[in-house]
Amino acid sequence: MGIIEAKDLVYEYIKRDEEGNVEGVVRALSGVNLAIKKGEFIAVLGGNGSGKSTFAKHINAILYPGEGTVYVDGKDTRKPENLWDIRQEAGMIFQNPDNQIIGNVVEEDVGFGPENMGIPTKEIWERVIESLKAVGMYEYRKHSPNRLSGGQKQRVAIAGVMAMHPKCIIMDEPTAMLDPMGRKEVIRQARALNDVERITIILITHYMEEVIYADRVFVMDKGQIAMQGTPAEIFSDVERLRELRLDVPQPAMLAHELNKTGFNLPYGILTREDFIHELVKYTGGRFYGGALENVEEKKSAFRHTTPGVIKRDPRESLILDHVSYVYEKGTSEEIRALDDISVQIGKGEFIGLIGHTGSGKSTFVQHLNGLVAPSEGHVYYKGEDISEKKYDRKKLRSKVGLVFQYPEHQLFEETVFKDVCFGPKNIGKTQKEAELAAFEALRAVRLPEEYYYSSPFELSGGQKRRVAIAGVLAMKPEILVLDEPTAGLDPKGRDEILDLVKDLHDKQNITIVLVSHSMEDVANYVDRILVMDKGSIIMDGDPKHIYMRSDELESMGLSAPQVTYLMRSLRERGFDLDPGITTIDDAVKEIRRLVPSGGKTGV
Amino acid sequence: MLRDITLGQYYNADSVIHKLDPRTKIVGTFVFIISLFIFRSFLATAVAAIFLISMIKLSKVPFSYMVRGMKSIVFILLITVIFNMFLTPGIPVFKIWNFSITDEGLKIAIFTAIRLVFLIIGSSLMTLTTTPNNLTDGLESLMSPLKIFRVPVHEVAMMMSIALRFIPILMEETDKIMKAQEARGADFESGNILERAKALIPILVPLFVSAFRRANDLAMAMEARCYRGGEGRTKMKPLSYNRRDHVAYGVFALYIVLIIAAGILGGRYLPI
Repeated sequence: MGIIEAKDLVYEYIKRDEEGNVEGVVRALSGVNLAIKKGEFIAVLGGNGSGKSTFAKHINAILYPGEGTVYVDGKDTRKPENLWDIRQEAGMIFQNPDNQIIGNVVEEDVGFGPENMGIPTKEIWERVIESLKAVGMYEYRKHSPNRLSGGQKQRVAIAGVMAMHPKCIIMDEPTAMLDPMGRKEVIRQARALNDVERITIILITHYMEEVIYADRVFVMDKGQIAMQGTPAEIFSDVERLRELRLDVPQPAMLAHELNKTGFNLPYGILTREDFIHELVKYTGGRFYGGALENVEEKKSAFRHTTPGVIKRDPRESLILDHVSYVYEKGTSEEIRALDDISVQIGKGEFIGLIGHTGSGKSTFVQHLNGLVAPSEGHVYYKGEDISEKKYDRKKLRSKVGLVFQYPEHQLFEETVFKDVCFGPKNIGKTQKEAELAAFEALRAVRLPEEYYYSSPFELSGGQKRRVAIAGVLAMKPEILVLDEPTAGLDPKGRDEILDLVKDLHDKQNITIVLVSHSMEDVANYVDRILVMDKGSIIMDGDPKHIYMRSDELESMGLSAPQVTYLMRSLRERGFDLDPGITTIDDAVKEIRRLVPSGGKTGV
Repeated sequence: MLRDITLGQYYNADSVIHKLDPRTKIVGTFVFIISLFIFRSFLATAVAAIFLISMIKLSKVPFSYMVRGMKSIVFILLITVIFNMFLTPGIPVFKIWNFSITDEGLKIAIFTAIRLVFLIIGSSLMTLTTTPNNLTDGLESLMSPLKIFRVPVHEVAMMMSIALRFIPILMEETDKIMKAQEARGADFESGNILERAKALIPILVPLFVSAFRRANDLAMAMEARCYRGGEGRTKMKPLSYNRRDHVAYGVFALYIVLIIAAGILGGRYLPI
């Protein structure tokens, strides 16, 4: 028998009204069957609302099956006498790092589980030390969890589970709220636990690149297992995955797109190395003429260029002139969050802002609409200094709209419609004007009309986010700044939001500043990238030129899109390809330029 | 402004006081506070002052750090002093318009102020030298006899410790929500009291929603880690008295003897 077995598992959430009458039933799981063997690394994929979290909670006996059974290590989760054994054997890591750390000190949090299990004090300490060492957080044992990064917090949470000596660990989107570095940390940790300690890992995620190392993948949809197989098997069916709100890693996507144009690359390409290997094999090495001139030289030509081609009218621009911002000025804790930033944001631009956590992006963004006033320097909008006393900052806030990260957390009104009216009313619009603006905004974010008068708290995550964006749009901004608008959404939801933003830019001519951790998203949508590091804008240019400087990006904890690396590796293998490719579409064109007819017979 | 409050904050240092068992410190602080209110003579106050100053010295917490914490209570202190000065009947020594400052009033005001300052410094010395966790552990242990009366001592202590963990998180969240609503044109600074109170709704609703979500998540995370209340639970850091604490209790006993002696010898110096 496997370590985890689910048989015809059904679970329903029952919604009740205030008197306790059943209002509606949502079937979250409808007949899940699966078996997981000891020591496997399992990935569970699925769009938002596919039932994957509900399933995860069954393994840890937080939820009990409505119908069917779940066995953990041979024990039925429904039997009360098994409860504590199951919770000890199947540890659980949740999405939000803050909401699962109980202790005020790292080591005390790790000790929480063993304390509950009634382990003697001496052994608790042994376990705590051993677990903290296993996740590389031993030096931080005396720290307060509030001072750690997201990735470190998740590692502490993993240590907390490890100290209970589990046989398997279920991770429910442990990386959804982390930046790319934190994500890598956590995934590396999960793989190490699987390799070294032979702990069964069940990783639930939205990120395709985290799945490629799994032994097996389950794809969930509408409360059922829709697909299962090895990562290679799963990722070869691109169309089906798209239907299920998912996508595939870039190398697999590139192979898929090439095959659509007549190439015949084999299925099962997951990584960059796979792709290069297969393309070399496919073209029979005909393009192999020794490594082409190093990309470095080409890169150096762009090293100090800032594209001056774009004419930005200063009278229409948002300009930051030598802006610095200092927290806690004059104390020992003085932090220079922004350091002498000068930048011009022209009308109609689509700008991507990248930088690792703590690089000053949030502070920068808050300067754009006057939420934070610069300690030094000036911010001008359309030629007027916004920090002047007589300047109408309220008006500025309607002109420069700012959508914060997880904006759905600011919704507060009884209905969606009322909530969207909040902004326009604040800036002095009449009820009628506000309602009109709200209608337009809700239409622009493509929220189905039937939701206009429901409570915003009843919507799904993606819908809530649209409402929140509409709340800012209703103020009719000329510039829209979005901080990580796709955080926590599944691939389909992510594309929908980004397409929507693109539409706002293209059709309504709104200037966009998009803050993002995803290099691929930035490459696909923006015209200009600003790279921030240590409170300064280090690079400013179009995506092609910025991503050429991938070494520098890496030294700042960033990277180029996967496809860029892929093209460069191909170049090093003798393919005369443009190393500045940043999107799949361009890569397809570029490879087809070199290998025109796609087929072997072509050349 | 919030940063100025040192009351309830922990100051990290390596001192004898820091190493004491939290129970010792709690008991000691109580003894000290009670002594302040029972013995009112000049001599007794001097004994209390000497005791307090030597404890501060031993704790290695900079005196300036404690004074900073006093800022927040200056107002209360001032009111107390003024009321005592003017409203105590007795021999007037100084007269402003209709109000007179009496000899007794002056004395009471000064001693009340001193007692209040001592009280604040004494209790902040305890919180400054004890981590919040230790403090809750200490309280839990000292209150455990109350379990007989079905007081949920463990649960209360757990709640306190969780509250301590989430205060900074919720503060940050409040700041974020405020900024987000400001970005939507909300105004928290102008208008009359009613308007301002109304302006808080867009902050409070999301804050409550978030707090409930966090509470729900945390409860689940705790259950997933086998939490089932205080029963059968072992302690990673069990409290145990050692030599240091026995010495400390000795010092407390000595202090009690001294201050009683001072109280008797000094006589009832003050009225009331």
